[in-house]
Amino acid sequence: MGRLRELIAVALTGLFARRVRTALLLLGPTIGVAAIIAAVGLTDSAKGDLKRKVAELGTNLIEASAASSFGSQDPTLPEDAVERARTVVTVESVSQVVELANIVVAPYEEATENFETVPVPVLASDELLPGVLQVPMVSGRWLNEFDEDTGSRSAVIGIGLAREFDYLPGEVRSILLNGLEYAVIGVLDNVELEPAFDNAVFIPFAAADDDFVPADILPNKMYVRAREGSEDATAEALKVAVNLGGPDEVQTELKSEALELASQSDRQLQLIVVSMGLLAIIVGGIGIANVMSISVIQRSSEIGIRRALGHTRSTIAWQFIFEAIVVGVLGGILGVTLGVAAIGVGVSIAGWVFTLQPVLVPAGIALAVVISVVAGLYPAVRASRLEPLETLRLG
Amino acid sequence: MTATSTTRDDTPVQGVARPLLELVEVSRVYGSAEAEVVALRNVSLQIMPGDFLSIMGPSGSGKSTMLGLLGCLDLPTSGIIRVGGHEVSSMPDDERSRVRGEEIGFVFQQFHLIPHLDALGNVETALLYRGLRAKERRERALASLDRVGLARRHDHRPVQLSGGEQQRVALARALVTEPKILLGDEPTGALDSKNAENVMALFASLQSPERAVVLVTHDPGVGEAAERRIKMRDGEIVADERWSR
Repeated sequence: MGRLRELIAVALTGLFARRVRTALLLLGPTIGVAAIIAAVGLTDSAKGDLKRKVAELGTNLIEASAASSFGSQDPTLPEDAVERARTVVTVESVSQVVELANIVVAPYEEATENFETVPVPVLASDELLPGVLQVPMVSGRWLNEFDEDTGSRSAVIGIGLAREFDYLPGEVRSILLNGLEYAVIGVLDNVELEPAFDNAVFIPFAAADDDFVPADILPNKMYVRAREGSEDATAEALKVAVNLGGPDEVQTELKSEALELASQSDRQLQLIVVSMGLLAIIVGGIGIANVMSISVIQRSSEIGIRRALGHTRSTIAWQFIFEAIVVGVLGGILGVTLGVAAIGVGVSIAGWVFTLQPVLVPAGIALAVVISVVAGLYPAVRASRLEPLETLRLG
Repeated sequence: MTATSTTRDDTPVQGVARPLLELVEVSRVYGSAEAEVVALRNVSLQIMPGDFLSIMGPSGSGKSTMLGLLGCLDLPTSGIIRVGGHEVSSMPDDERSRVRGEEIGFVFQQFHLIPHLDALGNVETALLYRGLRAKERRERALASLDRVGLARRHDHRPVQLSGGEQQRVALARALVTEPKILLGDEPTGALDSKNAENVMALFASLQSPERAVVLVTHDPGVGEAAERRIKMRDGEIVADERWSR
């Protein structure tokens, strides 16, 4: 063990004596490890945030939509789909909507031409939708029985559309649906589980039936809140309960799963940043090999002296390998520290919860050490092969 | 310069003493078959305990080659080299390094101190990897520095020391392992005359019945300080004379 301590001491004094060179050696592993730690930590924090969000929004929202096995164009659900859904005991609440096609939405008549190509979803909805989605109104009110009974042209718009149309909260405004004037009676808040709703227009079934649907209006989609813990069973049961052997099939989807699926793109970003970090650490390793090779030439006389003093070839090699190990350990610790700091900054900006798998700390340091040692092997072997007689210039 | 009035003594050293270092018909050839240079030709030499010996000769005479071989830094092309009875010319490199570290102390013309270490660190370097405790290493290095009169400057780095002081640190480093053979390579070559005199006095004081001091030089002033003077020319020993001081 004495020899080990001596080697470490020699490596430390060697590195400490050449601080600028040591700083150069440290750059590669430091940046590489920092990039990898930051990439993994930030994406994990984002994922952790998503999980928290999903937990907050509930995992029990099911979308049941009409699907046609015969390829008919506008599949619909049965007229009494809501009643049928309620026969499933684990269903807590249901709302039905109709997605209406090809309606041009414009804030006022002069702008109609400009908005003809902008697809704004228009849905006929019952009065239960915000309750099932568990989303509040930003201003005004949701569609109610009065709107249904009178067939009035009332509309609720999503918060995104409200911003786009410069709708002020409480303002008496109307929007044009295919040129027909609808009064805006309320603005729906952000719907995280169904982002498309942020830019949608919601109108009563009666008005939709009168203005846009030539035949009897039938729902084509339902939103269902299931009892917590029986989401999957409910989703399966709904398919049967709503269809009841009819021609149009029902497909169901858990909205929280869709949200998680969307975060898969973050994984790919993480992969890219981690690859870049790996690249940085490999380039850093090449840098170490370079700087140490030059160092071996510069220190050839020192190596010659040590050999003359009786140090063996392997001792000389180990001396340089230990310098590489120290560089790896220091670079790894610095890199982890920087990476953690970067996660901290990112997390505080984005408002996430700090998440970092603890195993990444030793793993980051180990990676830096391995790269440094591999990079240091060639210079170390070269140093050990120097002939003392050639480096000492005897007179 | 005491050599002028001495008597010649041609008798080889007698008695039971075994040579510290022995060259038996050693040749050293550089280069390949077509362009070979014979630096040393069939040289035999015995260095005995108590010898104060100089190897002199013009450049190209083979004295640097001789130094490399005596110091176990190089291997002969043919012939046998023994250090303390061990045949080093057939030893593996690691073992030869160990013999070198234990039996031989070097002092070079250019001092060859390690620039980033202080005087103490330089001396301690000779004691590394010998299973010594740090404290013992330090004490022995300090004692060795004291021997050359530099204990008080132990924390100075080579750039903070004069040439003479640097050479004394190098001497302390060579002595700290208590080597049987002290090899000096033009040890005063880079010093002014006053410092050269001091260093030569130190070398002379290091002579002991157990130890051999060997100086390789082209400077007659240095060479003639020795009691046994070997002259070389064209890779051969042309004279091996004993003088008393």
